[in-house]
Order: sequence, then C-alpha cells, then structure tokens
Amino acid sequence: MFWSKTRKALRARGVMGINQRNGDYILRYNKRSLYPLVDDKLKTKKMAIDAGIRVPELYGAIATEQGISTLRKVVDTHRDFVIKPAQGAGGDGIMVIADRFEHYFRSASGRIITQDELEHHISGILSGIYSLGGHRDEALIEYRVRSTELFNRISYEGVPDIRIIVLKGYPVAAMLRLPTRQSQGKANLHQGAIGVGLDLSSGVTLGGTWHNQRIERHPDTANAVAGLTVPDWEDCLALAARCYDLTGLGYLGVDLVMDRDHGPMMLELNARPGLNIQIAMDDGLLRRCAIVEKRLDALKGKDMPAAERVAFSKQQFAVAGAVPLAAEEQQ
Amino acid sequence: MGSVKFQARLLALALLLLGVGSILYQVFVQNVPLSQDEKDPVWVIDAQVGFSARPNKPVKVRMFVPPLSSGFTTLNESFISNNYGVNVNEEKGNRQVTWSSRRADGRQFLYYRLMLTHRYAKNPDVEPGPQFRQAPNVEGPERLAAEALLEPIRQHSADVETFISETIKRVNELENDNAQLLLGSDVSARNRARVVDLLLGLSHIPVEPVHTLRLAESQEQEPELWLRSYNGREWLYYNPVNGQQGLPEDRLVWWRGWEPLMKVDGGKSADMVFSVHRNEMSALQLAQTLRLKDASSFIDFSLYELPLPAQQLYRTLIMIPIGVILVLLMRSLVGMETLGTFTPVLIALAFRETQVIYGVMLFVFITALGLSLRSYLEHLKLQLLPRLSVVLTFVVMVMALMSLLGYKLGIGSGLSVGLFPMVVLTMVIERTSIVWEERGGSQSLKVGLGTLFVAVLSHLLMVWQPLTYFVFTFPGILLCVAAFMVMMGHYRGYRLTELVRFRAMVDGDKH
Repeated sequence: MFWSKTRKALRARGVMGINQRNGDYILRYNKRSLYPLVDDKLKTKKMAIDAGIRVPELYGAIATEQGISTLRKVVDTHRDFVIKPAQGAGGDGIMVIADRFEHYFRSASGRIITQDELEHHISGILSGIYSLGGHRDEALIEYRVRSTELFNRISYEGVPDIRIIVLKGYPVAAMLRLPTRQSQGKANLHQGAIGVGLDLSSGVTLGGTWHNQRIERHPDTANAVAGLTVPDWEDCLALAARCYDLTGLGYLGVDLVMDRDHGPMMLELNARPGLNIQIAMDDGLLRRCAIVEKRLDALKGKDMPAAERVAFSKQQFAVAGAVPLAAEEQQ
Repeated sequence: MGSVKFQARLLALALLLLGVGSILYQVFVQNVPLSQDEKDPVWVIDAQVGFSARPNKPVKVRMFVPPLSSGFTTLNESFISNNYGVNVNEEKGNRQVTWSSRRADGRQFLYYRLMLTHRYAKNPDVEPGPQFRQAPNVEGPERLAAEALLEPIRQHSADVETFISETIKRVNELENDNAQLLLGSDVSARNRARVVDLLLGLSHIPVEPVHTLRLAESQEQEPELWLRSYNGREWLYYNPVNGQQGLPEDRLVWWRGWEPLMKVDGGKSADMVFSVHRNEMSALQLAQTLRLKDASSFIDFSLYELPLPAQQLYRTLIMIPIGVILVLLMRSLVGMETLGTFTPVLIALAFRETQVIYGVMLFVFITALGLSLRSYLEHLKLQLLPRLSVVLTFVVMVMALMSLLGYKLGIGSGLSVGLFPMVVLTMVIERTSIVWEERGGSQSLKVGLGTLFVAVLSHLLMVWQPLTYFVFTFPGILLCVAAFMVMMGHYRGYRLTELVRFRAMVDGDKH
C-alpha cells in the first residue's frame, strides 16, 4: 500500500513528523515558561545585546498610541529603517523603508508612503493586528539589513535569511530562505519563499524546496541555487550555537541575516521551527537529532563550549556532495 | 522519558481496564441492554377461573399461583374479580390465592394475570429437599407387581439418577403386566406419576411432583406434571410420561405437591383456562418499569436516575468527548487543520439546534459575508478591534434579518438560530479573520473547510442514536476514550498529510 510504503521510506530516512517534533522535541526540550523570550522580539533582542550577540541595531520601540508621535524623532537620523511588530508571526506587518523622498518615505518595493500611512501602520501593530491571538503589541524600529551581493542572483526583493535548527546547542540543520515574487519579499516558506539546504560543515548551498517540492533553480531569477558559499559560515554557526545558551531552549530555530557591512546578525528565534528544512536539506531531522542525542547521553549532562559543539556538528553533518563553485562563478 | 512513557501506558491501561470492566459489569451482571432496540419477550399469562356459585352460600376459591422466586422477573401481577376479597398466602414453597365472597350468584369468573420476563431475573436459591423417606405400606398384588418391576430396575441402574429414569421407563411400558396392574385403566400423566412415586417410595427415594406451564403462545394450556428429586446438590427434574430429564428453559413452575391446582367451596362445575401471550418490550422500558416498582435494576446509580431535563442535557454533554476524540484523530493522525482546537465540536453542538444542512449553509453564508465585510473594512484601514466589532455587529444583524425573513416566508428553520449557534458563529468569524490576517486567504479557506468538515462529521457522530444510547448508558466508555487519548499523547507517527508533504524526500531516492 502506498501509505505504509511511504511511511517506511520516511522512517528509514529519519524524517521527523509534526507529532514527533511536538512530543519528543518541543515538549521535551523547550520549557513553556521560556517561550516569551522568543515570542517577543524586543525581549530577544535585548537579551542578545546583553550577551554580545550581533543583532540589527534597535532605533526605538513604540508601545503606546501617544508614543507614535515620537516616530519622527526616532527615524530622523536614519534614511532607511524597518518597522516590525514585536510579536508578529510569519513576517506579517513588517514595513521596510528603503529611502526618503521629500517628505515621503519610499518602501523597499518603491512605493511612496506618507507619514500618516506610517503612523497608521504602527497604530495597527499596537492594536495587535499582527500579533498571535490579537494581543496588544509593540512596534520596533530597527536597522535595515542590506543584502549581500552574493544572494542577489538567487533572491527576489527582500533579504534572504538563514535558518539553523539547534538541538541543545548543537546545530543540526541549516537552510537559506530566499524570498520570491510570490512570497512578496518575505522569507517564510509557507508564504512561497524557497528553502535551500546548506552543508553544515562548509556553508555551501545544496538543492532547494519550493511548496514542498524539490527545485534546482530560483523560480524568479532562474539561476541555479546550488554551489554558493555563505560567507562567514563559522560565525553563523557559532552565533546559532550560542543562542541556546542565551535562551535555554533546547530545540530552537535560529534565523540569521547576512548584512553587507556587518556580517551575520541574529534576527529572531523560533521555539517551534518548521519541518520543511528537511526537504531543503534532503535529510531527516530525526536522523541528525539522534546523533546529537547519542552524544549528549555519552557526555552525561556535561556542558560543552559552543566552539566544540559546532566542531562536532560540522564533522557529523558534512554532506559529501556539496561542492562550492569557483569564486568568479559565485558572483 | 522512558519512565514517563511507561507511566502513561500504565495510566491508559488502568483507564481502559476500568472502563471495559464497568461496561462488562453492566452488560453481564446488571444485564443492561447493549442497544436501545434490544427487545425482550414479556410473557403475559392469564388464568381464568370459572364456576357456578351455589345460591346463598359463601364462596371460597383457592388457587395456586407461581412462587415469587420462580427464576423470572415479575413485572406485574394482578387478581381481577368483582366483589371478592383477595388474600395471598405462602406455604411450603407454594403461593396460594384465596378469593372469598359472602354470596355470589350464577356463573362467576375470576382472573389472574402475571407478566414475566427473563431479563434481570435472579436465579432462585436451591432449597434442599429430603434424600430419604419411609417406604409406603403396600400389600397384596400391588406389592408383588411393584417388587417385580423394581427387580430389573435395580439391575439396570447405577445411582439414584438412573434409578429414577429407569423407573419412569418401566412404568411407561404399558404392555408390561405389572405396570398395567399398578396403573389400572388410568394412564393419565398424574396416575403414571403416582405409580412412579410409589415405586420410588418403596426404594426410599423421595420425589416431588411439580406442575409447570410452558411459556409459549397458546390459548388453552394444561399445566404439565413433572417429578423432581433432590440429589444433595440440586433438584433433578423428570417428565413422568416420556422420561425426559431436566426442566426446559421455558417452563414456569406453578406449584408443587399432589394437591390440585384449585379448590372451590360453595361452587360447582369449576373450570380453569390458561392462556399465554408473548409481548415485546424494550429492555430499557423494562428496567424503567421495574424501577417504578422499586425493584432494583441497573437504573440505580446510572444517569437514568437524573431528572429528565438533566438527562437531556447530559445526553448532549456526554457526547462531547466523542466529538473531541474525532477532532484529535483528524488533527494528529490525518493532519487536517481546524480553527482552534475544539471549535469543530462547538460548531457540531450548534448544528444540533440548526440541523446539519441548514446549519452548514448558514455557517458558510454568514462567514463568507462576515469575511467579505472584513476585507472591505481592512481596505478602510480600520484597526483590528473596531474592525472585528463591526463584523460581529453585522453578523448579528444578518441573523436577525434572516430570522425575520424566515418567519415572514413561513420557513421554520430561519427562526431556529438560537443563542448558542449565534455565539459560535461569531466566534468562528473572529477566528477565521485572525487566520486570514496571519496566514492569508487561501490558508483560512483551507482551515475553514477543514473545520466545517470535521464539525459535520462529529455532529453526525454525536447525534447517532445507537452511539448516544451506548455512551449514556455505559459512561465507562468515556474512560476507554480517555485511555485512547492518553495513548495519542505519545503518538509520534507521521500524519497522513505529512506523507504527501514529504513525498519529495522519498521520490529523491529513485533518481
């Protein structure tokens, strides 16, 4: 029968299902009381700054309707910035101001936005339009990340980000998430962005996934997605590994962005990371997590420094077929 | 983790055993019917006594009636008579009714009616009988004939049991001279039993006649005579005419002993007619009848003891876990997405008031209307809270309008939008809007359809008559449901939808 055959094949590949993720990983490794740390981006950011983890600079936060009038003062010194809800989900409610034009603002896609519209948007964020469950929220105004040249070939608008799944401080899987025309510049897979698996040991891109299917080329730019090397890969892994020490969440999705000037920065954390990364990596999360869990058992609760954890992951999860293209081809 | 899993399994097992145990207890010990339609035969036995009263003389009619511990449940017993005093007394394991009247004239009829059923009957205790008796004094040719008959019987039997059946066999060999002599010209069952009794008496074996009635549809029935003997553990029953051993299931012992069924003082040409009818009654009704009679039945300590309005409420409430388990299955095993966790169950409850088809139409129509209004309001850049408030106000107005329209057009169901469906409906619209805001239109459509599908399914399950009866009558099933839910808490397998979702990873192996 089709079902049992597929089931067996998936088991053999160590693919993790939602029930398994919820029961054996999230429920087991992520204490509920720690969730607010990652659900509120303002808290995450403050914590990261305290721990010396690089994040996009926070220009200001607006928590009340009265506070909206301070917007002008906050953004006065910056030509470009990003406004986002502190508790937003799925990249909704994020407004990227790329430039100014006379008294107006210009969004990343080139639309002209008035001051009024901007204030209305913030008011919407405060009333909880974008927060999970419609709670009151805060609006963050922060540094606009500038995409590196490297990813321009394989992304459409927006800024690609890197999702790394970290189990007990060990990176187990990583993918590059590329916005498409369909995802409207957002890097979320269920909104139509594509995910490209990364080789943990080298940071070289593998095949991609789009709407649960395997793809080789970016649907908008038609460039092959494989063979690119993510710069500062070592930094990315170290950053992700440290996020575990930062939050105490054992099963964590770390979202990083690659800034042209400042290198990798931590964008946000996710206590319930999705499973599509498995299709992008073409490898099962369960298989990889089991390797780490075996190591954890062997260590009997002894804590390892982040560098050693990263070294273990790099050695264990190297993909043989990951071959970076020559430097000139990557441009 | 392993020990936790073990604990959960233990808990599930305990719940399951408890649940199954309580159901088995109810079914096998309390005899609770498994389905509402389960019917039991109810035997209605009418005994009609007729006699001609002698003028100006007091009348006394005595008749045996079945003992209370007859191995059947008595549903109803009535003595019907005009101007007669009725008195029932018990002696030597028999029950006798006495009708008495100072005077009566002409043909008199007295009626006795008994309603019996097998269900909920307790087996009567076995009262021990004698195992030895003095031999009766018989002289002359009878003595010789009896001795001649007993000789081969002794040789052909091993114990009391075979001795009795052998005796019955010999007595019924009518061509045998000795048997003929003892029986005389009377070959009635009663006389044969008397001869058997005599022979057994000479061998010191006590026997007792019992008079039985057959529980089978019949107009005129004569009580059948059986003999029984106590072997130290139980009574053995024999048919004195054909030697059949063991009383069949459908026999009701009416009285025992040599006395006639009926004695009439102050009357003549008495006769008596038995008729037996078979009725059917649902087992549940039976229990309720017994309950009215203060007889103990399974109704004690069951939900049937609640007052009727509370019963109605619990008939609905007790089905909620069944709906919940369906949602659980749909989400965890199939991977269907629904609004919230248990919204489908709430919608299913709302369908009880609106009916399914009309309910589905109502939900789809009003939700679609609410959502289109919502998207227009979004265009106006209204904030979330005012926006939802406007939507909800609008929904209430639409519902009021529909009720009005339904009333004017004479469509009853338009009016049936009660408070509860209204509340559920507004909640659904709010939730759908939030999903729309957070995850987009197509996602909210998918989730909405999933919700509706699960809601309809769980509604159908929750109003399915055999199931509601079962759950309400055997609440222990909820423990089994809980056990299953506990087990589902540790289910780690793939959802059906995931098999499709991750298919790309399996196909990858082939090329």
